[in-house]
Amino acid sequence: MPKRIFQALDRWREHREIKTKPWQEHSYFVLDMETTGLDPKQSHVISLGWVLIENGAIQLDTAQHLLLDSAQIDDVSVGIHMITDSDVQEQGRRHASVLRYLRQIMKDKVLVVHYSPLELGFLKSLWQTQPMPALAFDWIDTMQLEMQRRARLQEVIGEGGYRLPACRERYGLPDYPGHDALTDAMATAELLLAQIAHFNGHEPSLQELVRMGGGRTRLSSNHKTQ
Amino acid sequence: MAAIDIPEVLKFIDSTPPFSGLTHTQQKHLLGGVELTYARQGEKMNLEGSHATLHLIRRGACEIRSAKGGLVDKLADGDCFGIATVLEQNPDGLQVVVLEDSLIYRFQKSGFQQLLQESEEFALFFAHTRSSRLRKLSRAHATDLAAPALQLSTPISQIMSRNLITAAAHDTVQQAAATMTEARVSSILVLQEQRLVGIVTDRDLRSRVLAVGASADLPLSEIMTREPASIDARNLVMHAQTLMSEKNIHHLPVTEGQNIPVGMITAADLLRHQELSPLLLINQINRQTDITSLREVCQQLNTLIVNLILTDMKTTDIGNVIAAISDSLTRRIIELGMDRYGPAPLPFQFLVFGSQARKDQSLGSDQDNGMMFSRQPNAEESQYFAKLSQFVCDGLAQCGIRTCPGDIMASNPKWRMTQEGWQQAFANWIEASSPSALLNASIFFDIRCVYGDDTGVQQLLQNMQARVAKSSLFLATLARAATVSKPPIGFFRSFLLESSGEHKNQLDLKHQGLALINDLARIYGLGCKRYHVGTKERLEQAAREKLMGLDIARNLMDAWDELNELRLQAQRQHWQNTGEPSAYLDPSELSSLERKHLKSTFAIIADGQTAALQRYARGYA
Repeated sequence: MPKRIFQALDRWREHREIKTKPWQEHSYFVLDMETTGLDPKQSHVISLGWVLIENGAIQLDTAQHLLLDSAQIDDVSVGIHMITDSDVQEQGRRHASVLRYLRQIMKDKVLVVHYSPLELGFLKSLWQTQPMPALAFDWIDTMQLEMQRRARLQEVIGEGGYRLPACRERYGLPDYPGHDALTDAMATAELLLAQIAHFNGHEPSLQELVRMGGGRTRLSSNHKTQ
Repeated sequence: MAAIDIPEVLKFIDSTPPFSGLTHTQQKHLLGGVELTYARQGEKMNLEGSHATLHLIRRGACEIRSAKGGLVDKLADGDCFGIATVLEQNPDGLQVVVLEDSLIYRFQKSGFQQLLQESEEFALFFAHTRSSRLRKLSRAHATDLAAPALQLSTPISQIMSRNLITAAAHDTVQQAAATMTEARVSSILVLQEQRLVGIVTDRDLRSRVLAVGASADLPLSEIMTREPASIDARNLVMHAQTLMSEKNIHHLPVTEGQNIPVGMITAADLLRHQELSPLLLINQINRQTDITSLREVCQQLNTLIVNLILTDMKTTDIGNVIAAISDSLTRRIIELGMDRYGPAPLPFQFLVFGSQARKDQSLGSDQDNGMMFSRQPNAEESQYFAKLSQFVCDGLAQCGIRTCPGDIMASNPKWRMTQEGWQQAFANWIEASSPSALLNASIFFDIRCVYGDDTGVQQLLQNMQARVAKSSLFLATLARAATVSKPPIGFFRSFLLESSGEHKNQLDLKHQGLALINDLARIYGLGCKRYHVGTKERLEQAAREKLMGLDIARNLMDAWDELNELRLQAQRQHWQNTGEPSAYLDPSELSSLERKHLKSTFAIIADGQTAALQRYARGYA
């Protein structure tokens, strides 16, 4: 019993030490998902796009764009994302293998999303669809970072001013016309780098970033792990 | 997945030369391992180790600077840097400084090197970029080291003499002369409670004492020049030079704080420090005794102007220097004319118009001038002035100031009038108010006296201002006429579309840019209570009298400076390449950042035109 407590304490201390290192010494998994709707309980994930930030730079070769096969594609989604059933048939992967792949990549990385309630909600519900090992990770929400920053600067941002393109515009980042999951993941990654460059005039640690706009979450599955 | 499969990446690479000319396979290869970084304004890019590789700006702006900090190149979206680090380990120590927050692609060195081997076109592009930057670098070095550059930007304190020879105002002329002789100097400063109150020079002793038979016992206060021009010790040699040329003086006291003298600069000091200077040129001009030798002296004028441009002297200062030289030249030729045809039978003024009046001439400006008489000359006197003015205009033309294509010259009898005649002429322009007539006459509203008593010209100007104030229709017509020509805002779009054809894609910075600002400033300047002739002074005055918003005035002044600088640089380049000045700018010489600047400059002019129309032409449309 005491041994287990000490082990837990060690893990906790180790985790803390890691978090106080400069941000560049961590790897970031920047994710965007396209879904059939806004409610994780009712809607499905259609596609996932991601890219990694390592050594302080976006590693473009790590970009991925995956379609999931079980999603029902309605006309509205086709209109917005230009994805059709045949795309899903051709490029779709089986849920289970996609999730295993995702878990493998996310391990030891910091998740980065724009608007965490939605993306975390969908990740949680994805984890419910399959028997999956649990996964704990730190995450950063670029929208929360932006809201904190504007609040500190005492700037009033109007309605829609925290949407991804609006946030990017404030940093002079280019306007990307496409809104597929991969382009939005790229756009989020660039936004994060811009936000970090403007972080109170110093290089922040991961801890500072998470405190300002992030948290820690554990994904687990109700299914029994096989 | 490879970087090239990201739609936004592919789209950018496909639209950016030289990458757009590569095959898909080559692009994919080059993009292998590419990173995207974000650099913040003011950051110095790390170009060492694994970062010593090709960089491409996706969005933002950077500057390449020499090891000593001289500007080599400005870069923006789609421009590359880091080439020298790949090809030659950056022998010149070039640095890249971020001007605006930038998103930057950083390529893998190996992929870039391999592609240089594979694609001749690709390699040529970078060889060309590299050599053009080397050219700019050598220019940056040249301006670091070139004699005139170094000397003009030397602080005054380095060349002034600190050995002050001073006297008190109640000392006698005799005592002062003795002190000067003993110290072997040609001037003495007159102090009162340590402050500078006057100056006496060798020449003053001759002309104000000896020549008029005055007593050597007079106190200095009787013969000194009171409140002489002086310059603060923090200024540069070029400022001293400009001041001395403008005032035509040879002794300039250097002061600190509340007019406390700390040193002295003489023309001789400056000449010792310089082979070719405005002051030397003016000195030489004043010493020549015939047109042939004047012409030879003036052949240095363009070289001098080019040197001034190279020293990055402020454009307004360059304008002042050129005006001082043209004025001296004009005066000297008038004197030579009077040597030949005898003294003038009646007092007259020699007037200059347009750019010489505004003091914004550049290489290859032409002459616009006229004469004003104190009374109506009789037939014989008219004959004299016809000969004199012909001599002057021909002389100026021989010395490199071209004759006016519109024949606005003193040699044209139409532009030799009495003060009343000129007054009537202005009255006609102001009251007739036909737009085309006005536009042709607008040059006359920029007027300055370079020879003769200025009082008559001041009266003429007052009379003109009063007339303008009574006729609001005049300013309305002037505003409408002056805003007919619009700045070429869409120019760069068409430049991108059409890339052949003579002059089609060349920008006339004078007529499509500067002249439009001059026209705007003239409208406001004439609407002001106080007359100024220079464009920037007019804009300033208009803002002061609240005829124009301060921001518009400032923007227009900045725009004017920027266009003027571009014009001078373009002229210098053209002159150095071909020996001919040209006001045309080839936009392909501009970086995309400079193009962006130029575009916003034109937009500022358009805003100014709208404001002028609203202020002056509303209700007259």
